[in-house]
Amino acid sequence: MGASAAAIDSGQGASLSLRCDGCGAQIHVAVGLRTAKCPYCASPAVLERPADPSRPDPTFVLGFVVTKERALEQARAWIRRPLFAPGAFRRAVPSDVRGLYLPAYLYTAVANADYDAQIGENYTVVETYTTTDSKGNVVTRTRTKTVTEWRPLSGSWAAYVDDIVVTASAGLPNAELEQVEPFDMRALQRFSPTAISGWIAEDPSLTKEQCLTLARTETEAAIGKRLAGHMPGDSHRALEYRWKTQHEDLELIMLPVWVLAVKYAADQPPVRLVVNGQTGLVGGRAPLSWIKVGVSIALALAAIIAAVLFAGSK
Amino acid sequence: MTDVLSCTRCASPLERGDFRCAICSLPTPVPATDATATTEVAAAVMRCQGCGAAVAYDVKVAAPKCAFCGAVTALETPDDPLEQAEAYLAFRVDPEQAKAALRQWLSGLGWFRPPDLRSAAIVDKLEPLWWAGWAFDAGVTVSWAADSNAGAGRSAWAPHAGTFALELSNVLVSASRGLTEAECEALAPGYNLADVSEAPEPDSRARVEQFEVQRSAARATIARALTNVAARDAAKHVPGSNIRKLSVAVVPERMSTRRLGFPAYVLAYRYGDAVYRAIVHGQNPQFVVGKAPWSWARIVMIVVAAIAAIGLVAAIVAFAS
Ligand SMILES: [Zn+2]
Repeated sequence: MGASAAAIDSGQGASLSLRCDGCGAQIHVAVGLRTAKCPYCASPAVLERPADPSRPDPTFVLGFVVTKERALEQARAWIRRPLFAPGAFRRAVPSDVRGLYLPAYLYTAVANADYDAQIGENYTVVETYTTTDSKGNVVTRTRTKTVTEWRPLSGSWAAYVDDIVVTASAGLPNAELEQVEPFDMRALQRFSPTAISGWIAEDPSLTKEQCLTLARTETEAAIGKRLAGHMPGDSHRALEYRWKTQHEDLELIMLPVWVLAVKYAADQPPVRLVVNGQTGLVGGRAPLSWIKVGVSIALALAAIIAAVLFAGSK
Repeated sequence: MTDVLSCTRCASPLERGDFRCAICSLPTPVPATDATATTEVAAAVMRCQGCGAAVAYDVKVAAPKCAFCGAVTALETPDDPLEQAEAYLAFRVDPEQAKAALRQWLSGLGWFRPPDLRSAAIVDKLEPLWWAGWAFDAGVTVSWAADSNAGAGRSAWAPHAGTFALELSNVLVSASRGLTEAECEALAPGYNLADVSEAPEPDSRARVEQFEVQRSAARATIARALTNVAARDAAKHVPGSNIRKLSVAVVPERMSTRRLGFPAYVLAYRYGDAVYRAIVHGQNPQFVVGKAPWSWARIVMIVVAAIAAIGLVAAIVAFAS
């Protein structure tokens, strides 16, 4: 497809100078990006490269479903919500809306765990107690009480782990991606350059080993959650497990996200919001207004003191 | 015969058009593309097949679209076709045998049914049908945990856990809308899955029930059925006679599923003024399931007799004391 010649930009090494397929002008593709737009003819271009095992092509891509307008709407609704945010934040208008394909790894494996836990089995006992009734007489009454008997349980557990998704971009930490998960993996499409044409698409900036570590951390948490649901009894405590995974697989995928900036004060850095391009779920951390928090704590304290004084005066 | 690829992780046969294994989610091998590999870095503009203008992904159509002529390029997605039966089990019971099987069944229902049920029942309608369903085979590692009365201390319950390997073959899962879950379950053990017939002719007298579900929905149904079968089997591994809070985790391997048409007769019969429904197996007339009238006269008789007996005993006890 592309007939242009490649030349590494000798100056900074920060961008790649390529000839536009559309009009022949020189376009600069920032290193780490997969896509570019020609500033002269506005043609969207996708970088094509010789096969390179250290820089694999994505296997799958999830297409955008949420439009820019809807992403903005979702973000505005989200900004208005946090009670303890400064008023300026709650009135701020998000700007700098960019739709981008985030490189991420999709991890699947077979998980095995050996666990030990204390299982709580409830039973009831009838106990007698003495109290004074409304006429001031001392009476003996009975009541039933629930008691928990703790029993040890050890066992093994195995299951498939699928749909663990971790970021492959140093620009968007995994914790921020987790806020807008899940993505519906049933909508996976085979990666093709046309799927990302016209959008910003990044190359992975984290190594596969870093991503594998992230995926295993998420897997450990996922196993713990599923084991907690697996436990019998009325309750459980001291759940401990040793786990391992087999047949691990990591696939590079591209996830659709809208990234927005919320500038609410001249002296504060803008807050970054991420909107899931498939579901519209918004993630981010709203700033706290220390005045609002302080006033709320003071009011709560005042209410408690008033209640104590009132109770004491009775 | 074409080679069937198997998943390298769970050894289940892969189906054409899948991007990931339906059992364990491992991506399937990417089919070799005949596109010429690039030898140098290039900024390629994606071109419209129709007019040659640049193509960009468009959110509104959720696909790459040409800004000039509006043509939409389809992206490759996993196949999710409507399920189609791949084989039909042969009818081994003819309509007359089916009617006889119904009468045989009616006469064996017990004393609380009308005594003339067998002779007075009139068959109104008899419809041969191939109902839609799946049959699967799998090897499953089952991990279970549950409470039971075995080893109970002060509480009535004690926790237990274990793992075992389960070999499943020819487990039937209904996709039928015409037959109820209970009816399918009652007929299931009577089918011989090796006794397959020719695909039914379009003018066949028997109705062919369609699956009416897509592959993805079918897999969800089959996965639920597998977990249910595993849980039922796990219950046998729990010590004690009373069980609660049974939970299972499954690792299915070598799982293969067939989409089949199962032969049966749907009958409507009249007794008195009421119409009842019964299903007769299409391969084995021993299997009949359905509804039948009760003999209220006989039930009332027994109840009256029971009350009289209790009264008599009470009277004797009162007299003796
Ligand atoms: Zn598999």
